[in-house]
Amino acid sequence: MSPRSLMLEVAGRTLYWLLLAASLWVLYRGHNLPGGGFIGGLVAVSATVVCAVSQSTELARRRLLFGDPRVLAASGVLASLLSGVVGWLAGEPFLTHPWVSIPLGVGSFDVSSVLVFDLGVYLAVWGAVGGYALLLLELEPAHDDGGSP
Amino acid sequence: MAHSTDHHENEHAMSLAERAAFALLPFSGLGLLVFLLLSRELPFALALPWVPSLDLTLGFRIDGLSALMLLLITGVGSAVFVYAGGYLAGHRHQRRVLALLSAFMLAMIGAVTADQLVLVFVFWELTSLLSYLLVGFDHESAASRGAAKQAMLVTGAGGLALLAGLILLGQAAETSSLSGLVARGAELADDTRARIGVVLVMLGCFTKSAQFPFHFWLPGAMSAPTPVSAYLHSATMVKLGVYLLARLDPAFGEWPFWRMALTGVGTLTSAWAMILVLGERDLKRILAWSTVSALGAMVMLVGLRGEGSATAVGAFMLAHALYKAPLFFVAGNVDHGTGTRDISRLGGLRRAMPFTATAAVLAAVGMAGLPLSFGYVAKAVVLNAKREEEILAIVSYGSLFVGAVSVAVAAVASIRLFFRSAPEGGTVDAHEGGISLVLPPILVATIGIVFGVRPWLIEGLLGQVARSLTPGPGGPVVDLELELGQVFYSVAGTIAAGAVVFFVWEPLHRVVERGGALLRPYGAQAFYERALGDLVKSAAWLTRRVQHGRGSLYAAVLVFAIVLALGLAFAPGASSLAWPAPTSVELPVLAALTTISAGALLACVLETRLVLLLASGLVGYGSALLFLFTGAPDLAFTQFAVETAFVIVVATVLIELERRRRARSLLEPRVRPFAALVSLGFGGLLGALLLAVSALPFDDTLSRFYAAHSLPDAHGRNVVNVVIVDFRGLDTLGESAVVVFSFLAALPLVAALKKRRKEATP
Amino acid sequence: MSFALALTVSIVAACGAYLALSRDVLRCVLGLAILGSAVNLLLFAAGRVDSPAPAILRAGESTLEASANPLPQALVLTAIVIGFVLTCFSLVLVLRVVHTSESDDLDALRDAEPPPTDPEAPPVEPDT
Repeated sequence: MSPRSLMLEVAGRTLYWLLLAASLWVLYRGHNLPGGGFIGGLVAVSATVVCAVSQSTELARRRLLFGDPRVLAASGVLASLLSGVVGWLAGEPFLTHPWVSIPLGVGSFDVSSVLVFDLGVYLAVWGAVGGYALLLLELEPAHDDGGSP
Repeated sequence: MAHSTDHHENEHAMSLAERAAFALLPFSGLGLLVFLLLSRELPFALALPWVPSLDLTLGFRIDGLSALMLLLITGVGSAVFVYAGGYLAGHRHQRRVLALLSAFMLAMIGAVTADQLVLVFVFWELTSLLSYLLVGFDHESAASRGAAKQAMLVTGAGGLALLAGLILLGQAAETSSLSGLVARGAELADDTRARIGVVLVMLGCFTKSAQFPFHFWLPGAMSAPTPVSAYLHSATMVKLGVYLLARLDPAFGEWPFWRMALTGVGTLTSAWAMILVLGERDLKRILAWSTVSALGAMVMLVGLRGEGSATAVGAFMLAHALYKAPLFFVAGNVDHGTGTRDISRLGGLRRAMPFTATAAVLAAVGMAGLPLSFGYVAKAVVLNAKREEEILAIVSYGSLFVGAVSVAVAAVASIRLFFRSAPEGGTVDAHEGGISLVLPPILVATIGIVFGVRPWLIEGLLGQVARSLTPGPGGPVVDLELELGQVFYSVAGTIAAGAVVFFVWEPLHRVVERGGALLRPYGAQAFYERALGDLVKSAAWLTRRVQHGRGSLYAAVLVFAIVLALGLAFAPGASSLAWPAPTSVELPVLAALTTISAGALLACVLETRLVLLLASGLVGYGSALLFLFTGAPDLAFTQFAVETAFVIVVATVLIELERRRRARSLLEPRVRPFAALVSLGFGGLLGALLLAVSALPFDDTLSRFYAAHSLPDAHGRNVVNVVIVDFRGLDTLGESAVVVFSFLAALPLVAALKKRRKEATP
Repeated sequence: MSFALALTVSIVAACGAYLALSRDVLRCVLGLAILGSAVNLLLFAAGRVDSPAPAILRAGESTLEASANPLPQALVLTAIVIGFVLTCFSLVLVLRVVHTSESDDLDALRDAEPPPTDPEAPPVEPDT
């Protein structure tokens, strides 16, 4: 492992969690304000890249949900797919997202399978694009012990 | 049939029963034909639905001409099958020859009975293909393969011309049947398509029937086994061209061009082949050239007008088959019995091969056109046909010459081989073949004599032939008996001239041989060889230019083609396009656009990869700014995030590559003109496209629909996000799947990379 | 506005194509990415750029008044992500090629079409 800048490492630690939290927030508010699954997922990818660059790719990989970009990406597509089934079971066309209003005393909280769909996009982008980034970044460390062929 | 002394028996040998089974095919065909002719009124048509929606039918039609061809196919075919059974007995590929001959026979039957234009072509090409396989039968000999290829290329190219011609004619006449085309042909005289079509069909027929200048392939095809030569290259296949020309003659016979081309080419071929025959030593090649000459004469006869010529074509076709097939069998027997076909080494074979000698004499009588043979009858009919029309003097002189050399060839094949004493050092060791080798030639030649003595036996069929070749209802009356006496003196003159040619054969041979050697570099054969060699060379040259293996040039040509295609699609409507109304550009947007352009331009000129990457990043960040200022915050965020990840990742990879010098920096010319030209065209085209689109009125129905239904139906205020996850959810599902699949596809690539590195670093 | 956008699209597309036609494989990848940007811009601009207001319904509103066109935005958004993934994939491919062939020259990749052994003659002598 090559020596890293201490500042980068300290900043990276904090930045990772901040970015991850931001990505979730972007994901959640996406339906009404700029944001959504794609953007949230890409912000999460930046978090992974920051972690990989400031600390190590192994750590960044472990910190991915499920610890494996392949599983993460696949679970995202699966979540999107399953979210479409909800509407279908209710007799609507596939990928029609029903909304349910949950009363919370004074106001109400609207939930829908569309949130699961967007979450699926978020996970797929995080897993696949983050996985790409890790693949390319990981090509580096193995070099340190070898001369050019 | 136990004669096969020089073919030792082996496990591949066919039994007598097996050979008889193959021979059953032509015999039953012949029987069926005779039955049909006796019981049915001609023409006899048969139509099977094929592709009803396209109005295509499998149409077959048998009239007099088809019936005559069928008679040759099945009649000569029966003799050939029996002969081939004996000739190739014990040969390990005898089965293949007989199977191919059977297939060929069926294809021939199809070709002369098909009435559907496409069907005619299909059977026509099938015969070419089977001829290729049969000529190349001795595939271990390079000469044999070359001859097969030559026959295939010449007749195959002609077949393509025929297809194009038939399609054009069919379109011009608005019919898909041969009989329909013939019926409407006279109306087509002013149709350009029909004229081109006729020329193309002629080309097809000329190649098939070995007419000048395509005559050279036929002698080459003599590398086929002798029964094949007798059948394909004398009696049937080469007559297909004549057949089709005769079939179309009622339609186009009144065109001066048609008559000129047919009589001209026919006469030239006929005479030229008879000059070339004098230069040959090989008995089969001699017979081949005389076949070319006969085919030329038939083409010439088709080109003549008048009712007599219709009868003459049929009579000559029949006569030729009746004497030429036995002569080929004789050549085969001589080859079989002595091991050579070189006439300068042969002579006095009558004692060793008495039956073959008998056959040779009977056939030669027909070929020379002596009285009491069907050859004489045919000659009489032909002379009669010529008398009906005023013929150019040169054609008559040509005919006299052709007739004389024919007589001489007949004499060579009979008198010289069998009755003159053998030359010094010639082969004397000869033996007669078995019954299957001597019976077919004797039988077929005898039929020629029978028809000569009793011409009325065949009068009915020839009348039908003449009727099918004459436009309009009815037909000429054919009376073979009456014409015989009138032409006796003419025939006698020809025979006298032929006798002279026979006696000066050797001096003539030396002259022609010497002249031929001088002319060879300019002949059709040499031209063919040069063209074939040049074709291969130019193909190699072109391949090297087109498939140069330089990836960057491939890519440039590809983009060039795209630009060209788009430009051509765009150009016709360009004049009707308007410029969009100019509107002001706000400063932030202008700044963003400038950033984008600057980044792109910098990326083109910079050489250091890392700086180049940063410049290309400017394009992305500029786009993000543009999106931010033009009401697209979602896009701006996405672009920012993507660009950041991209630059970090690629920079890491690049730094690593530079550090390890894995990728040498590439020395490339700073300006690549072709790529620059193509790129400018590409960029300009996209810009023009955008301008043209911007000037058009904008249809925002769909956008307004999304905006109106976003909140009530999908409970979302961010219309862009709602469109992505809800309205167009299926697209998005597909897209996220694409993203994931791409990643999964990259995994094995990288895994192999890592493994390679581990091996490289102990 | 249209002219400025069209000019920018032209420049970006031309530069992208020029880079993509390079012999240097890494430049090809960058050229591809820039070409993607050009196409995104083209698509975005074809949907008309006439309002700086995002296509977002403010509280209380039920339909959009004057705002940017949301449809091309939705298309371009996914296109950006897919374009990025495409670039990543080509980068991986290129790295693989560089490592297998020890060269980053596109024209040096001759495995599929090795140079002819003879500058003139066809590869196999014709059968004569």
